[in-house]
Amino acid sequence: MLFLLSWLRSIARAFARPAALLRRHMGLVVVGTLLIPVHAAVSLWMPRLLGDTLDRLKDGGTADSLRDTCWLLLALAVVEAGSRYVSRRTLIDASRHVEEDLKNDVIAHLQRLPIAWYDRSRTGDVVSRLTQDVELVRFVMGPLLLHGGSTLCLLPAGLWLMMGMDLPVTLASFGVFGLLFVAMRVLVPRLHAWSKKSQEAIAEISQRAHEDFAGIRVVQQFGAATRERAAMATKNRRYLLVNLRAVRLRALLNATSHSTSGVVMLGVLLVGGHQVIAGKITIGQLFQFTGYLALLTFPLEILGWTLATLPRAYAAGIRIAEIFEVAPETAAGSTPALRGHLRVTGLTFTYPGASRPALADVSFELEPGRKLGLVGPVGSGKSTLLALLMRFYDPPRGTVFVDGHDVLDLAPHCLRRLFALASQEPFLFSDTVAANVAFALDASQATAVDAAVEAAALDQDLPQLREGLSTIVGERGVTLSGGQKQRVALARALLSERPGLLLDDTISAVDPVTERRILNGLEQERRGRTMLIASHRLSVLTAADLILVLENGRVRERGDHDSLLAERGLYASAFRRQSEAAALESLPEEGA
Amino acid sequence: MSDPYLDDAPEGRFQLRFLRQLGPFVRPYRRAFAACLALLFVSFALEMLGPWLLRLAIDGPMRGGDGPGADRMGVLVWYGLGFLGTTAGGAVLGYVYGLLTAWNGQRVIRDVRRHLFGHLLGTSLSFHEKNPAGKLTTRVTSDVENLNELIATGVLQSVFDLLKIGGVLVVLFFLDVELAVFTVATTPVVVLLSVLFRRNAQRAYRSVRTRLALQNAYTAELIGGVRTTRAFGREDAVTRRYAERNGDTATSWRETVFHFSVFFSLVDLSLRATTVGLLWFGGSAVLEGTMQPGQFVQFWLYFGLLSGPVKELGEKYNVLQAAFASCERVFQLLGEPRFPPPNPNAVRTERRGAAKIEFDGVGFAYVPGTPVLEHISFTALPGQTIAIVGPTGAGKTTMLSLIARLRDVTSGAVRLDGVDVRDLDPSSLRSRIASVDQDVFLFTGTVLDNVRLFDRTIDEARVWKAIETVGALAFVRQLPQGLSTQVEERGGTFSQGERQLLAFARALVVEPDLLVLDEATSSIDSESEARLQFALEASLRGRTAIVVAHRLSTVRRADRILVLEKGGIAEAGTHRELMDRRGIYAGMVGHVEAVP
Repeated sequence: MLFLLSWLRSIARAFARPAALLRRHMGLVVVGTLLIPVHAAVSLWMPRLLGDTLDRLKDGGTADSLRDTCWLLLALAVVEAGSRYVSRRTLIDASRHVEEDLKNDVIAHLQRLPIAWYDRSRTGDVVSRLTQDVELVRFVMGPLLLHGGSTLCLLPAGLWLMMGMDLPVTLASFGVFGLLFVAMRVLVPRLHAWSKKSQEAIAEISQRAHEDFAGIRVVQQFGAATRERAAMATKNRRYLLVNLRAVRLRALLNATSHSTSGVVMLGVLLVGGHQVIAGKITIGQLFQFTGYLALLTFPLEILGWTLATLPRAYAAGIRIAEIFEVAPETAAGSTPALRGHLRVTGLTFTYPGASRPALADVSFELEPGRKLGLVGPVGSGKSTLLALLMRFYDPPRGTVFVDGHDVLDLAPHCLRRLFALASQEPFLFSDTVAANVAFALDASQATAVDAAVEAAALDQDLPQLREGLSTIVGERGVTLSGGQKQRVALARALLSERPGLLLDDTISAVDPVTERRILNGLEQERRGRTMLIASHRLSVLTAADLILVLENGRVRERGDHDSLLAERGLYASAFRRQSEAAALESLPEEGA
Repeated sequence: MSDPYLDDAPEGRFQLRFLRQLGPFVRPYRRAFAACLALLFVSFALEMLGPWLLRLAIDGPMRGGDGPGADRMGVLVWYGLGFLGTTAGGAVLGYVYGLLTAWNGQRVIRDVRRHLFGHLLGTSLSFHEKNPAGKLTTRVTSDVENLNELIATGVLQSVFDLLKIGGVLVVLFFLDVELAVFTVATTPVVVLLSVLFRRNAQRAYRSVRTRLALQNAYTAELIGGVRTTRAFGREDAVTRRYAERNGDTATSWRETVFHFSVFFSLVDLSLRATTVGLLWFGGSAVLEGTMQPGQFVQFWLYFGLLSGPVKELGEKYNVLQAAFASCERVFQLLGEPRFPPPNPNAVRTERRGAAKIEFDGVGFAYVPGTPVLEHISFTALPGQTIAIVGPTGAGKTTMLSLIARLRDVTSGAVRLDGVDVRDLDPSSLRSRIASVDQDVFLFTGTVLDNVRLFDRTIDEARVWKAIETVGALAFVRQLPQGLSTQVEERGGTFSQGERQLLAFARALVVEPDLLVLDEATSSIDSESEARLQFALEASLRGRTAIVVAHRLSTVRRADRILVLEKGGIAEAGTHRELMDRRGIYAGMVGHVEAVP
């Protein structure tokens, strides 16, 4: 009893949401379902008519009755096709609507989940829940409605009619169908398991191929092509073997279902033939019987498939439910007008699940309109500090204050209206350059795109792009260079009109001349904006009011450019090295 | 499915040259294909035998005839066994056929994939720069996969379906000419319906694929770009945008459902109508006594055999079309010339410790008419280090790629030990050269894999030795699993300096005669900076090296410095000579030394 309860509960967990969404399209479902019995009745009537007619042909019927029967059959065929058409369309449409709604709901929910959840999840996994899993639920739902309904009507009625004709033949036939169901129940899940392995194998091929093409320079230079070919051949072979296993199961399944109908036919022929000989039934009735069988075979087979797929759909439903069960990040908090006075005191922050703190005892204060520089190697905590200011993660209480408010007391969206973030490897959407720059605004507000583009020195690249600002970038369009992407992100941040700017190594891939241009532009464009700049490139930071040199999450050196140079520490030696490289890369006229 | 590169080709159409191009891949398995064809014919014959046996059973024992009931039952059992034979035979043949076609298809596509992948690895760098890795990967995976449909089942099955329709029609004519004429008369209706359906359904289906690809790509973007969306507070905007795209896809889906429903309903209806017609004509014939009931049933059952292949042909066409499009794309790539082009007169070059490299009036242009390099001439004697300095975009990296023949000069010549590199066997040439790039590409795999580039003939001891030589021993030892540490996501967790350190080890482990080096510019942590300095020193010792230099210490120790400006050599000489000249180089260095 308890077991049953928990079983029901987990079924509800997986399918409650799709079922609720189905209720939104009740009209379609009702129309489709009501027509199923109509279709079933007509379908069942037709073999009967045919059987009777055949018998009458043998026993000397009249041409008139034959003609009448033919007209009736034709009319029934029209009703059959019509009802089938309507129920198929409405029910399958309903399942498509559920798929659409479910996808929208998942996306809307995902947009509200905490960033920390995204850190734990792999993009591919989330995407597959949103695509494959939702589609699997729909894939089962449509046929289940359509063929499940049909079977529910056809099976008892057909069974009744058949048993009325001959009980043993009926039982024998359905016994064999039962075996088919068992075979499917065994084979289909195995088939799915091998299909999954096959997908994994092709994913491996895909990943290796992608890397070899992306790193083609290394592959060719080091003469690794032959070796890569061999490695690929091994993966290819594995894929082949896995596929052959899957194919074997599929062929077995096909053979089983084909031979099942053959065996049923044989049974009908032998037992039914015996009855005919004994004079218990007529040839017409035998014919009618086979007609019923043919009628039931298709929905039964589909139902067998669908039921065998049900465990996978259940797993998919659970995976979708898991997403909905994650609590969204809080939207609560006060929303005062912020000026942007920053105070960080004794900030130590450890990522959930990490053993070492990413930031340890960091303190500083920044007046609105001032410029802070953050310097340090990869993993020193620069990006973490900026992420905390965006409230992508919650800092410990009492460590980060804006205008005297602890950031934990502010609504996240309020804090995010204070700062615009642009990062080193920015994310661009597959859309036009203009749309990416104006991402933060609605179409009507995006008037100053050109100015932002100029301030980010992106205008100098536009002539190279075929359609200027309307060029589509990303996977489906033009691939931008790292530096170009960074400048799009910078323009996006500038256009968003936030009072503060967080630049996370944003112009690291930009050449020195352009860098100068951008920095000069930023100074003029700044208009009292607070700026926090994390950078490997120290030339970007010379004008900062305060520079923090981070190492392993701790502040190692602090001060402005001149005082840090005088200190002759980490900062000074790095600065010297970088100036060297810059000088060797630029002609004296330009470097001066 | 969600691949943006699957749809960027014109509609797939069958072209005769596909057969010619696929020929070499299919030929090794031609016996197996012939066996498949034979199997199809046998199972066709078995399928045709069933209704005939049924007819005999009905017209024979069941309808009376002679003898007592028990005898008739005995005859019926024989027919039953015959029927069982055809069924069992059909099932076994179906199983074997399924296996064999898959076996063929899978092997052919494995061969195509292997060939295509190998071919792409041997195409030019400029080809790869024009074609993103994602696109080529799709060609190697999904497109080749689509070919399977064509090879394994598509063509064979379609031809067979046509044969089957023809065969059944012949039998029908044999059974009863009048009824057969009637049946044939109705087939044009079904064919017309299929054609109409095909056109509409294809259009709808195509739009589904395009829209779904767009939507799925956007899905991935929304997940990947969640921080950006969050940072700018655009959650609602992107959710709305997604819903729009989702709605578009759903609309297209429903259109295909519409077309499919109409098609199936109409085909069913027309088959039913034909059936009724059959009943009318056949029934009349039976009533008139010109036809036996069993014969009529047989005709009926044979007619039933037609509906399967007719419906299947309609559906198959979609799949085949996608396969043709993929075929086109795959063969287009296979037509891409190899680089370097095969040269039967190429000679092998042997390792000899240190190489002499010579640029003789070298010019290079990516686009004809706009040279990137012009009149570059210099010689690096064995063991010498040549440093190249100059502004970004002066052609420094391009120059390096000419040495290992990743690109070919447009004019002049690059010579290794006095022989034009174009006359050398490329693999032997590349085996003498190793490079360290500024942006180091790391592969998914272990650190060990990355140092020896998956070459298992290089044992761990040699790898450790190389790591020690470049001074990376301490660095590798402090990694969580040492050499076995997994490199994740293209090495994102390593700093630029650390990646270059690994690249130095990667270069030295193959003990090259010539080192081509692009020095890393920035590295903020002093620890890896010191390590890089050490690695550089170790690597240059006793080797010829061409270095794009970003450090004063590197240029100072170079035997010759080339100052590159706008694609030409503006100044050349040793550090001392160039300083005395007080030209561009002296200006650069002066600028450096002005830094406190």
